[in-house]
Amino acid sequence: MSATCEFQAKDYRSDLKPIWCPGCGDFSVVASIYRALAAIGRPPHEIAFVSGIGCSSRIPGYTTAYGFNSVHGRALPIAQGIKLSSPELLVLAAGGDGDGFSIGGGHIAHAIRRNMDLTYIVMDNQIYGLTKGQLSPTSQKGRITCTSHYGSLEAPVNPLLYVLAYGAGFVAQASPTDIAGMAAIIEEAIRYPGFAFVNIQSPCVTYGEEAQQIKGLKAISESLAALGHDSADRLAAMDLAQHYGSKLHLGVFYRDPDPAPTYGDLVRDRQALLSQGALPKERILDLFIKS
Amino acid sequence: MATRGIDFAQLSLMEALDLAILIEEEAQERYEDFAGQMEQHRTPGAARFFRTMAVNEGRHGSALFDRRTELFGPAPRTVSSAGIFDVEAPDYDEARAFMTPRQAMESALRSEQKAHAFFTEALPGIQDADVKALFEELRDEEAEHEALVLAELAKLPPEPGFSEEEFVDPPAAQ
Ligand SMILES: Cc1ncc(C[n+]2csc(CCOP(=O)(O)OP(=O)(O)O)c2C)c(N)n1
Ligand code: SF4
Repeated sequence: MSATCEFQAKDYRSDLKPIWCPGCGDFSVVASIYRALAAIGRPPHEIAFVSGIGCSSRIPGYTTAYGFNSVHGRALPIAQGIKLSSPELLVLAAGGDGDGFSIGGGHIAHAIRRNMDLTYIVMDNQIYGLTKGQLSPTSQKGRITCTSHYGSLEAPVNPLLYVLAYGAGFVAQASPTDIAGMAAIIEEAIRYPGFAFVNIQSPCVTYGEEAQQIKGLKAISESLAALGHDSADRLAAMDLAQHYGSKLHLGVFYRDPDPAPTYGDLVRDRQALLSQGALPKERILDLFIKS
Repeated sequence: MATRGIDFAQLSLMEALDLAILIEEEAQERYEDFAGQMEQHRTPGAARFFRTMAVNEGRHGSALFDRRTELFGPAPRTVSSAGIFDVEAPDYDEARAFMTPRQAMESALRSEQKAHAFFTEALPGIQDADVKALFEELRDEEAEHEALVLAELAKLPPEPGFSEEEFVDPPAAQ
């Protein structure tokens, strides 16, 4: 410790008071984001934070970054647009499992295959929190909720396998059971040059089941580092990811050792190529005028 | 309760004081948050207690800050709150809607115990004699705070004997 610290966690905390239920896991998530951002040290005005709709999607408002609590399921398209038009911004996207894997599920594949340079944080509580406890895409089979009185008939989506299968360059899982580990993972995800996905098992204390609360999660959690997992091995990552729902593996599942160029880089290269010998803007009309 | 990126063996007295200040600031902020949450949920008893805890933590933080300023003036901080996690602050998970004053005090008690354990566990790794003395002092203070919360708990009337679950409606279909 010798360098001075330009930013402290509180510099990223806004004056808006969270209206989450006391004890909600999302409090720890936002606290970890403050710490990850302080460790990275980019000033708040160089960060854009986009979310969809849900309890978890309130998160940008609780930070001092530019924030957009947008439309249900649409955090990723908006975040991609921001990153493309303002590549100098550090772009974060966040939301719930419903926002990301139900209504917004289609967008994930495309953000991944483009390798957009942004970090997508999903607060996975296996329930629709904001709308008062309906089944979500990650709810376990048999789960009884107000929309599944006799138990859910559907198998859950596995968010980890989903993003690994589409080729995400960085895939990790965290939980408020280890808040220091969660901040470290978020920091690593933000530093990754490309699309980074962090699934956070964030308990809903109001509609979540006992097994999904901190105590239950601690009982099934295992650190990937302690298991000796090699995060450069995508197939090993997919193998471990299959245990989603029965085990809580914490840490980095996969980190591409040789990150692909981002979509932004490719677009800028293409622009540079095509602009060679191109007419200046004020002479563009000449192209359409026969001499 | 954890720290990240802090090497206790290398800690200077100024860094140790800054660390202690940040720990108090985190606790103060958390108690203020909890008080706000309780007010939002119309639970004034627990809110009042959390506010008192916030004031106490703020007082400890200011006393440490004065000491730091006297010794080191405005020298910039080299310790970051990015590496401090719930050392003396109650875990977010400790808060619950409709907490009784007893539950609020019990959560504060666990937090004081956590802080005591933090300084106790860090002590063997510390090499600087002044830092060691400071950590011993802080550890002993945490034990005193624990005793104070226990004394407050002893003054409370017994709990009525039913759980708040009995008053909470199950989630309803919308
Ligand atoms: C287009 C549209 N459809 C449905 C809704 C209703 N709605 C709001 S939030 C939400 C789901 C919330 O669950 P999740 O995304 O998992 O977030 P959480 O609240 O659990 O954090 C739904 C269905 C909406 N706002 N807009
Ligand atoms: S309903 Fe659940 S997810 Fe929403 S704020 Fe409350 S605890 Fe958090």
